[in-house]
Amino acid sequence: MGNGLTANQAARRCGAELTTAKDRFGKFAITVGFENARAMLAIRGEVDRVNAPEMGAILDAVIERHRSVVLDFAELDFMNGWGLGVIAARASRLRRSGGTLTIRSPSAMVLRLLDVTGVGEAVLLENPDPPRRHLGAEQSSEMSEAPLGTEPSHLDRHAGKITAIPAATDVVDGALRLVVALARATVGGADGASVSLRRHGHLATVAASDQTIADMDASQYASGEGPCVDASVNGRWFHAESLDTETRWPAFTPRAQALGIKAILSSPLLAEDRPVGALNIYSRTSMAFAPKDQELASVFATEASLVLTSAGVDVTDEQLSARRNEALATRRVIAQAEGVIMEREGVEADDAYSMLCDYSRRSNRPFRERAEDVVSSTHRLRLDPEPELRQSHNG
Amino acid sequence: MAETSAAEQPAELLDRYRLNAGLSYGDLWLRYFEIGGMSNALELEAILCGALRPSPHDREVIAHALNERFVELGGNHPVPYSESDAERRRDQNGKS
Repeated sequence: MGNGLTANQAARRCGAELTTAKDRFGKFAITVGFENARAMLAIRGEVDRVNAPEMGAILDAVIERHRSVVLDFAELDFMNGWGLGVIAARASRLRRSGGTLTIRSPSAMVLRLLDVTGVGEAVLLENPDPPRRHLGAEQSSEMSEAPLGTEPSHLDRHAGKITAIPAATDVVDGALRLVVALARATVGGADGASVSLRRHGHLATVAASDQTIADMDASQYASGEGPCVDASVNGRWFHAESLDTETRWPAFTPRAQALGIKAILSSPLLAEDRPVGALNIYSRTSMAFAPKDQELASVFATEASLVLTSAGVDVTDEQLSARRNEALATRRVIAQAEGVIMEREGVEADDAYSMLCDYSRRSNRPFRERAEDVVSSTHRLRLDPEPELRQSHNG
Repeated sequence: MAETSAAEQPAELLDRYRLNAGLSYGDLWLRYFEIGGMSNALELEAILCGALRPSPHDREVIAHALNERFVELGGNHPVPYSESDAERRRDQNGKS
């Protein structure tokens, strides 16, 4: 594990092991020991909102008796702002009482958090021979041979979540086409397979083994019924064992039968536990899907769901992209409105923003609308020397 | 949207409003960014976790992003826009 001490090595070197705390998921552990005159806490696993208070409580207990405390992060996999908040508070308390908090072997992620938040100024860093992973997330993420490649990926995963940037549509579609091809080839009785996904607010087939199957899906979207639609909406699987006796989808069933389909198995696709589509497997034989085939279909649907979840497809790419464009457009209008107010009122940008905020609050209308009012009021300037803006601010 | 106590730290208070508003960190960041917030998503999360102190301007933008959400939900700007606004609101509540 790179250089520096692992938590276990550190604990052994320190001698007495005082406390070991594990959270309910077993990923997080703290080992407390001593090293020369310093108290040493080796943190292992992931520190997040759930276990940050536990780390804080143990740190508090240690700080009560010791002025010089070392946090060993050699085996820390992940820490978010909650862990950092706990450390920041203890670091400043130690500093006030003349003590020191040292962070040993911080990862690139921790260094970045310390840097961004300024907490780094309140702690000492101990990392005599930094391994390559400390070069920075961007560089180390490219080093597949780096022994601690998990940390950049944790950072990437976290960054992906908070900025909600999904994977490119074509990458997701490629993965789904692979799932369709595998399902078609391996599920017993399968004559065709497809994946339906909600895009632009409507279900669409993003991968299909042939045109008949794509038509079959389209027929369900058009009639608003069928196993594929139900699985996509309800988030549970639907199995039409034999369309000859099927009664649940009266509009769709005859169309499927006309195309020679006898059995359909639709498994839901979930992103972040929300239904977003379905994996559909079609057969020209009644009762084609044995229990083991149903199980296999479920495995493929689960895999496809993991792809969708990690790609951030709980809202579709297009919806998110439209939302981001909308946000950018709003920012532009607000910036323009700020400029107008700065010019009219002779104030600085922050004050102009506060004024806009105040208008929005008093009129109980969204910020964007008020900003648009201000911008459009410039068109009336030539006719109206006392624009609405000035009146509403003074009034 | 319970009235907050004076003892509560500013960051905890903002994060509690975020939870009450039913917004993820990502949701709030997009709203904050939309109305002119300049911090990135990681910094916003650090502010809400108490690890980073917001500038008065940032504090105002976060409060307004939350308040717009509360207005959508039928509320009336419950989040104080600044420390002094929070104090003023506490005083008013104390008198009434």
